[in-house]
Amino acid sequence: MAETLLWVLPLVPTVTALAMLTTRDRRILSMMDVSGSSVLLALTLVLAREVAAGGPQALGVLRIDDLGLVFLVLLVVLTLAVSIYTIGWLKQAVAVGNMKAEYLRSYFALVHAFVATMVVTVLADNLGVLWIAMEGTTITSAVLVGYHGHHHGLEAAWKYIIVTTIGISFGLFGTVLIYAAAAAAGLQGSAGALSWSAIMTVAPTLDPGIVRIGFIFVMIGYGTKAGLAPMHLWLPDAHSQAPTPVSALLSGVLIKCALLGIIRFQTIAAAACGPGFPAGVLLVFGLVSVVVATPFILAQHDLKRLLGYHSVEHVGIVALGLGFGGKVGTYGALLHVVNHGITKALAFFAAGKAIARYGSRDMRVIRGLLAVAPIGATLLMLAALSLAGMPPFAIFISELMVLRAGIGHGHWVAVAIFLAMVVVIFAGLLHHAGAMAFGEPTPAAGREPETWSPLLGMILLAAIMVLLGLTIPPSFDRLLQRATEIIVD
Amino acid sequence: MSAETVHTIIDDLGALLLFTMILIVAAGQIYRAIYAVAAQSLLIAIAGAVLATATGNVDLWVIAAVTLAVKATLLPWVLHWVVQRMNVRREVEPVIPIAATLALAVLIVVMSFQLSASLGPVRQAITGNALPVGIALTLTGVLVMATRKTALTQMVGLFASENGIFFTAMAVSQGMPLIIEIGVILDVILAALVMTIMVLRVRSTVDADIADLERLRG
Repeated sequence: MAETLLWVLPLVPTVTALAMLTTRDRRILSMMDVSGSSVLLALTLVLAREVAAGGPQALGVLRIDDLGLVFLVLLVVLTLAVSIYTIGWLKQAVAVGNMKAEYLRSYFALVHAFVATMVVTVLADNLGVLWIAMEGTTITSAVLVGYHGHHHGLEAAWKYIIVTTIGISFGLFGTVLIYAAAAAAGLQGSAGALSWSAIMTVAPTLDPGIVRIGFIFVMIGYGTKAGLAPMHLWLPDAHSQAPTPVSALLSGVLIKCALLGIIRFQTIAAAACGPGFPAGVLLVFGLVSVVVATPFILAQHDLKRLLGYHSVEHVGIVALGLGFGGKVGTYGALLHVVNHGITKALAFFAAGKAIARYGSRDMRVIRGLLAVAPIGATLLMLAALSLAGMPPFAIFISELMVLRAGIGHGHWVAVAIFLAMVVVIFAGLLHHAGAMAFGEPTPAAGREPETWSPLLGMILLAAIMVLLGLTIPPSFDRLLQRATEIIVD
Repeated sequence: MSAETVHTIIDDLGALLLFTMILIVAAGQIYRAIYAVAAQSLLIAIAGAVLATATGNVDLWVIAAVTLAVKATLLPWVLHWVVQRMNVRREVEPVIPIAATLALAVLIVVMSFQLSASLGPVRQAITGNALPVGIALTLTGVLVMATRKTALTQMVGLFASENGIFFTAMAVSQGMPLIIEIGVILDVILAALVMTIMVLRVRSTVDADIADLERLRG
């Protein structure tokens, strides 16, 4: 039963995507969008129960364990929120001419194809399949990034596809090297030497030299996709130029899927050459990301670019958590993956509505949002406060855990740099958000009332965000604990 | 074929691959770069055939055939078609002088051999010098992408980079699983298709090279 679900899961968005090609009606398309995402969520919850009861499930090249489940749950929850948000967002985008009504079906079909490839990356046990699906996400989402069709969008899409494709080919090289090491260690059958679970059984006997080089290649490769600096160059462009629902998926889920890929290889490398080596590499990339993102966040005027750079910072924090290691650091990193995914999607949603209202992405134009759109402005403020790391929101908790792990393992320099940057970004982000929410509305502000569908999508995410800040539900806590044990062990 | 002969042939092919890479880096015109990358893919296909004969692995025959059809014929033909359609005989427009790029390429090759010489037992899992040659091709491909301003030359760099990975993957003792290799090639075709559409789209709207657009900054 649960094994069957493994291949049904990627099939759901695929079938939804194909079915969407049959109609042009916006209402029907939105309905299919929401129902497809709901089915995906429901099946994931069934699968989650099976895994909690019966441990990891495997079928051919696909496999689900608690670690994959953390990412899968984030993926399906955000997909549903995006679907709900899209209903109202699209209505307005079509009305003002940002989206052309005759191409809507290809837009929806691409979004679901994108989701399908991401589901496969999360479920992949075979590292080759992981790579193929990862490149698949690049191809589908590159088209979406350039979807508006103006040359800014196409420039961003080109940068995105070129930089990530070349980055990912490093990932493939790393995969080939690990495969060679596994084959040399005597893993039989060509499929076995690429299977993550099979490699893990022989990981301590792999040749450390080649695994080290392989891990660095993979780190650069999937790190590009994850948006770790200095390979993040595509990220602010792509995240800012994509249609808002796609930005939310890119920032909330896609870069997390790449992180899952890195974690899979981290466990192999930790077993083969000791945990110190991959942890050191992750620390360096994490620190560089946090430091590089800071000045760009402070000096930014474009709201969506600001959020893009902010994703670079937070991916850096996750890498730091994994690098500090130990139970606390890893648990914190995984929790941060979920927290940041939910919060950043909410931030993109709220930003998208504000941008549509003012007809500009320049934060100097967006003023007095609270007066014209009180609910949207409140949600934007909540998201900004949470992103900045204010208690009692979720991100504060996970950042604190990462920090505690750093102090616990005596990485004083890294902790000092991390803290300094987080404080600076805190101030910068609150300044930007406060200026947008308060004050007199500029004449550019649209005064039409807020509509239910985008708000519903946002409130869903905001509720999860607040809940995770106040308390971590016991079942979710157990899931994170088990996932942590897979990595740290 | 004895293992010795296979080693020698793979090493010779590796040398030829590096030579085609130098041709790509040194190419002053886009046509030459396209022909060089096609020749390189042809060499990869030959390497696949040699390894297939030596190991008796049928999968490698399929991979060699697909490489020949897709990477040595189809993709270069598409690139060629786009160049003609855009009707621009533009040079490749290096960011830094070609001589400097060549020097960097040589440095990469030396470093790759150094790196793989430092590896111990795993070298036996990969035939001959396929590992250092593969690393060198991949990195030089990235170098080409980073130092060229036109979209098509960047695509040539990408294909060269992928060739390096394929060469190493073929030479791993048991070969990569067929289904994975096919999937990888499929991804490459799709990516090339999407890139080509983007290039033509930008050309038709703003008459500029997509890789040359620089409006998004900061």
